Amino acid sequence: MRKKISIFLVGVLLLVTALTGCSSAKPEAASGAESTNGSEAASGAETTPAAPAKDTLIVATGYDAKSLDPHATNDVASSNIMEQIYDTLVVLNSSNEVVGSLAEKFEVIDELTYKFYLKKGVKFHNGEELKAADVAYTFKRATSPIGGSIAHIVGDIDPEGLEIVDDYTIIVRIKTPNSAFLPSLTHKGGGVILNEKAVEAAGDAYAMNPVGTGPFKFESWAKGDQIVLTRFDEYYGEKPSFSKMVIRAIPEATNRTIELESGGVDIAYDIATNDITRIEENKDLKIIRKMANSTTYFAFNTLKAPFDDIKVRQAIEYAIDTETIVQAVWRGVGAPAVGPVPPNIKYFNNALGKPTYDVEKAKALLVEAGYPDGFTAKIWTNDKKARIDMCTIIQNQLAEIGIKTEIQVLEWGAYLEGIKNGDHEMFMVGWSTQTPDPDMSLYGPFHSSQKGKNNFSYYDNPKVDALLEEGRKLADSKERQAIYEELQTIIREEAPWIVMENSETVVGVRSNIEGFDPSPFGYHVLYNVTIK
Amino acid sequence: MLKYFARRILMLIPVILGVAFIVFFLLYITPGDPARIILGDQATEESVLQLREEMGLNDPFFVRFGKYAYNLVVNQDVGKSYVTKRPVWDEIMTVFPATLKLAGSSILLALLIGIPIGIISAIKQYSIFDNVTMLFALIGISMPVFWLGLLLILLFSVKLGWLPSSGYTTLNAMILPAVALGAQSIAIITRMTRSSMLEVIRMDYIRMARSKGQDENKVVFKHALGNALIPIITIAGLQFGRLLGGAVLTESIFSIPGIGRLMVESIKMRDFPVVQGGVLFVAISFSLVNLLVDLLYAYVDPRIKSQYK
Repeated sequence: MRKKISIFLVGVLLLVTALTGCSSAKPEAASGAESTNGSEAASGAETTPAAPAKDTLIVATGYDAKSLDPHATNDVASSNIMEQIYDTLVVLNSSNEVVGSLAEKFEVIDELTYKFYLKKGVKFHNGEELKAADVAYTFKRATSPIGGSIAHIVGDIDPEGLEIVDDYTIIVRIKTPNSAFLPSLTHKGGGVILNEKAVEAAGDAYAMNPVGTGPFKFESWAKGDQIVLTRFDEYYGEKPSFSKMVIRAIPEATNRTIELESGGVDIAYDIATNDITRIEENKDLKIIRKMANSTTYFAFNTLKAPFDDIKVRQAIEYAIDTETIVQAVWRGVGAPAVGPVPPNIKYFNNALGKPTYDVEKAKALLVEAGYPDGFTAKIWTNDKKARIDMCTIIQNQLAEIGIKTEIQVLEWGAYLEGIKNGDHEMFMVGWSTQTPDPDMSLYGPFHSSQKGKNNFSYYDNPKVDALLEEGRKLADSKERQAIYEELQTIIREEAPWIVMENSETVVGVRSNIEGFDPSPFGYHVLYNVTIK
Repeated sequence: MLKYFARRILMLIPVILGVAFIVFFLLYITPGDPARIILGDQATEESVLQLREEMGLNDPFFVRFGKYAYNLVVNQDVGKSYVTKRPVWDEIMTVFPATLKLAGSSILLALLIGIPIGIISAIKQYSIFDNVTMLFALIGISMPVFWLGLLLILLFSVKLGWLPSSGYTTLNAMILPAVALGAQSIAIITRMTRSSMLEVIRMDYIRMARSKGQDENKVVFKHALGNALIPIITIAGLQFGRLLGGAVLTESIFSIPGIGRLMVESIKMRDFPVVQGGVLFVAISFSLVNLLVDLLYAYVDPRIKSQYK
C-alpha cells in the first residue's frame, strides 16, 4: 500500500511540475516580457535611485487594448497604445488649433476639398516610406465596412474622392461640408495613417502586428497582461529619451497604486479617489489631474409621458442637487457639468452656470404640468458604481417632490440594447467628445436623425437640427460660436438631459518622471516623457 | 483498462455537444447586440447593421447553432474571436498557462499542507492542535478570496514589501495568489483528510495492526492513509477541476491574465465565439481531471482496478 501512496504522491508532483513547466514554454513574446516585468517589479523600489538612468518606462492602465488595428476598434485603452505607435496627418497644438503632423501643410480648397502635402522621408516601422498611396489606402479602408467602429469619426470622407496628385500630395474630398472634419483627423484611431503593404501582408493578424510611423514600434503583446514597445530609431521627429515602454493592464485601481508606490510602475492611470491623498503625501510620487472630455448625464426618454413634457423635465432638473451629488460621489474629482459641451472643447458656454437646485420651484413646475402628486418611474443605469450611487441620491431627491422611482441596474450590453429600443424612462449614461469639436459633443446625442442610435433621449427639435446642420457647414468664426452657444442654451433650457458631471483624469506618476501631460481625450502621449 | 479509458474519452463527445448547445442557447437569449458592443456606443447604425449581417447574427437560432456544431465536430474549429479576429483556440492558449500555473500551485499547496495537517489532527483528535487547525480550516473555508487577497497584498506588498502585488511570471509573484486562492482548498482538504482518517483509524484492522506490534508510523501511513485516500483524491480532483475553470476574482486582484478574466471580458463584449470556446474548454478540462481521478483510484485501490474493464 505504501507503494501506492508514493505512486500517488509522485503522480501529483509530476502533474504539477508538468503543469507549471508548460507555462515556461510560452511564446517568445511573453517570456521576453517576463524578464522586464520580473526584474522591474522585484527590484524597482530599492534600485531606482542608484541605478543608471532608467531606460524603460512602465505604465499601468486599467484595461488591456482590444485591437491595435485602428479601424477595428474605438476604445480608450487601444487608442492609448496607438498614440505611441501611429501618427495622424494633422494634430492639435497647445491652443487647440489644427496643425500639420505627417502633413507638412494642408490647404482647404473648398468646403468639400482638402489638399495635404506630406512630409518627405517619413518611414514606417517596416522600413517603407510614407507615400500618398498609403493615405489613400488608409482612408479607403477606414470608410469601408472594416472601419465600422470609427465611421462616426471619419465616415465623412468620400472614398471615391481620394486623389493622389503625386507621391507626397493627396486631395481628400468629403461628402458633405463639415468644418469638424479637420479636427476629426486628429483622432488616434480614426485619423492615423497605415502602411498598405503591412496591412495587406498581415491580414487578420494585423490587429496584433501594427505598423505605424510613430516614435515607438510594437514589439510584443501578452494578452491581458502587457504590451511592449521599443523606440523606432528612424522616427522622423524628436527621438524619445528612453528606449522601451511597457504598458501593463492592472484592472484593480488599488493594485495600480501599490505598484506605483513600490516602484513596479512609473505611471499609473485612473487613480481611485481614495488613493489620491496617499499618493500626494508620498514624496516619491505626484498626482497629475486634468479635466476630461466626457460628460455623465441623467436623461429622459422624451417619447414617453410624462417626460415628453418640458415642465416635468425642468421640475426634475430643479429637484436634483447636482453639486452635492457630484461632491458626494466623486469627492472632489471632476466637476459638476455646465452643459453638454465639456469645458476643454471650443465654444464651451460657461455662461450657462450649473443647474440650480430649487425644490419649491420643482414642485410648482410639477403642479403646472398636471402632476401635483408626482408619479412613479424607473431609473436605468449600468453597473458602474459611481453611476449607481448618483442614481440612489437622485432617487431620494426626487422622492421629495413626490416622484417615486425604482433603480434598475443593467449590465452594459443589455443596457445599450434597452435604450436603443426605447424601453427606458429615466436613465444615466455618459458621452465623450472624441474629437476636439463641439459637433462631436452635440450632433450624435441631439440631432433627430440620431434617435435610438446615439440620441437616447429621443430628443427632436427642428430648430436644434437646423442649428446643428448649420454649425457643421460654417468655418470657425464668431457666427459658428454663436450657433454652438445657442445650442447649449436651448438644450439646457429644454432639459432632454440633465448634465451631471465632467470627469477628470487622475494619473499618479513617480517623481523622477517629467513632462507627462495627460490629454482630455483619455489617451496620453508617453513618448516625450523623460526619466530622471 | 485501455478500453475503459477509450470509452471515457468517447463519452466526452455528447458532453461537448450538450455543453455547446446550452452555452449557445444562453448567449442567444442574452440581451445585447455583439455588433453594437464591438463597434462602440458611438458607432453609426449603418455600420452596426452591416456587421450584424457579416457576423451571421441575423440567421435563425438553429441555423447558427447548426453551423457552429458542424464546424466544431467536423473541422474541430471553434471559430474566431469577434474582437481580435484571432482563432478562439489561440486566445485560450494565450491565457491558459497563467491559469494552469495558478491552479497547479494552489492545489499543490493544498495537498502539501492539507494532508499532513489533516493526518495529525486525526491522530490527535480533540487535542489543542486539532482544535486550532479545525478553527483555521473553518476560517479558511469561510474567507472570501477577494478579501484574503487584499489582506495579503496589504501585509506582504505594502507593509513589508516582500512580495509583488501583481503579475504571474516569477515564482515570487505567484506566492500570494497561490495562497489566496489555495486557502479554501487547503481548508477543505485538511478537513477531508481528517474525517476520512478518523473513519479508517477506528477500523478493526488498524486495531489488529497495532496489537500485533506494528510500528505506529506504518499503521498511520500504510494501513490508515492508504485506505483513507479515495475521498481525498476525489475532493482534490474536484478542487483542481474547479480551479482550472479560472478564478476570476483572484485573477483580477493579482492582475493575472487567466481564463476567468478572458471569459468575463468576452461576456461583457458579447464575444460569443470566445465565450463558447472557453466554456467548452473548461468543461473538457474538468472531464479530463475527473478521468484522471478515476484512474488514480485504480492505482490506490486494487478493488476498483479490477472493475475497470
